[in-house]
Amino acid sequence: MPLFEKTLYSTDFSPLAEVALDYVKKLKEAGEKEVVVVHVVDDLSIELPEGADLLNEKELYKILPEVDQEYVTSLIERLEAVKKILEDEGLNVKLYLKYGNIPKQIVEVAKQEKVRLIVMGAHGKGLLTEILLGSVSTDVIRNAECPVLIVKRREE
Amino acid sequence: MLFERVLYPFDMRKASLGVKPYVLKLKEAGCKEVHMLYVLLPSEWGFVAKEEYDSEDKIEALRGAIDDGYVDGLIRIFRRMKEIAEEFEASGIKTRIVLIPGELDETIGYYSKEYGIKLVALGITDESLSFFRVGKVLDIIKAVGSPILIVKSPEEDGAKGLE
Ligand SMILES: Nc1ncnc2c1ncn2[C@@H]1O[C@H](COP(=O)(O)OP(=O)(O)OP(=O)(O)O)[C@@H](O)[C@H]1O
Ligand SMILES: [Mg+2]
Repeated sequence: MPLFEKTLYSTDFSPLAEVALDYVKKLKEAGEKEVVVVHVVDDLSIELPEGADLLNEKELYKILPEVDQEYVTSLIERLEAVKKILEDEGLNVKLYLKYGNIPKQIVEVAKQEKVRLIVMGAHGKGLLTEILLGSVSTDVIRNAECPVLIVKRREE
Repeated sequence: MLFERVLYPFDMRKASLGVKPYVLKLKEAGCKEVHMLYVLLPSEWGFVAKEEYDSEDKIEALRGAIDDGYVDGLIRIFRRMKEIAEEFEASGIKTRIVLIPGELDETIGYYSKEYGIKLVALGITDESLSFFRVGKVLDIIKAVGSPILIVKSPEEDGAKGLE
């Protein structure tokens, strides 16, 4: 059964999201072939339309203030680095850099791409490091239609 | 090994069966052992001595101490889990079946720590994520240290606990 064939890896580039990447890699042994990597931006200095695609809509990029352009460029580099890691494992990779409400966009991409599983951290970059379950994970659990794998810490 | 030992909390509802194919599939990614756990909620089962009931004999030994109907109910649950366990065993995954009295989040949290569980696989319904009940699922997620796989089933089958 192709239960893990296509997965979505949602990352805020936090240490725990990096741990979640280990699980994404491991799932290859259980039939995973393609990984959709998603990062959502909600903190630019200007407002963009909900769901704007910062990776492919070049016109959009051009209207951004310089600080935002630099920020977006650095995020694209980080996404490319994740892509490289997963491709080296023999997985097919598709990247998304979206603008908007974070959990909403993650759930939306999962639906569009018809992924079989979402892999993410239990918390992320939030300031409360002792937080047990972040707001993004909570919302994704509630609204995703597919199974969700919540990673809590690196395996000892 | 990331998926070596899986805890599969089972509550006799259809939703908890949704998890089974995922666990079977994880065998390919290193799953060697499944622990099927039924938590005996105090509200449904009254007072049952806090022990790990992992055989029919242990459950039978409760006769006299608690209502016979309860004991029969526990035996039915145990046998149902055993049927599912046979599927795991047949595909080479070692399986333990256990019934433990307690609160859901605490018991799952305790068990996963005690037995070095690497993944908790939770089958839930949309209903368990409803405004009134979502807290339960989130409490479980918060109570365990290991990763959690959450598999949602669309509909509730109406079965409450066991029939
Ligand atoms: N901007 C984002 N884009 C993609 N995935 C994200 C983003 N933010 C969080 N995630 C995913 O969600 C996981 C949990 O992060 P979450 O934001 O819920 O926790 P937190 O930052 O600790 O708390 P909060 O944001 O509620 O203060 C992360 O490990 C990551 O997988
Ligand atoms: Mg966050």
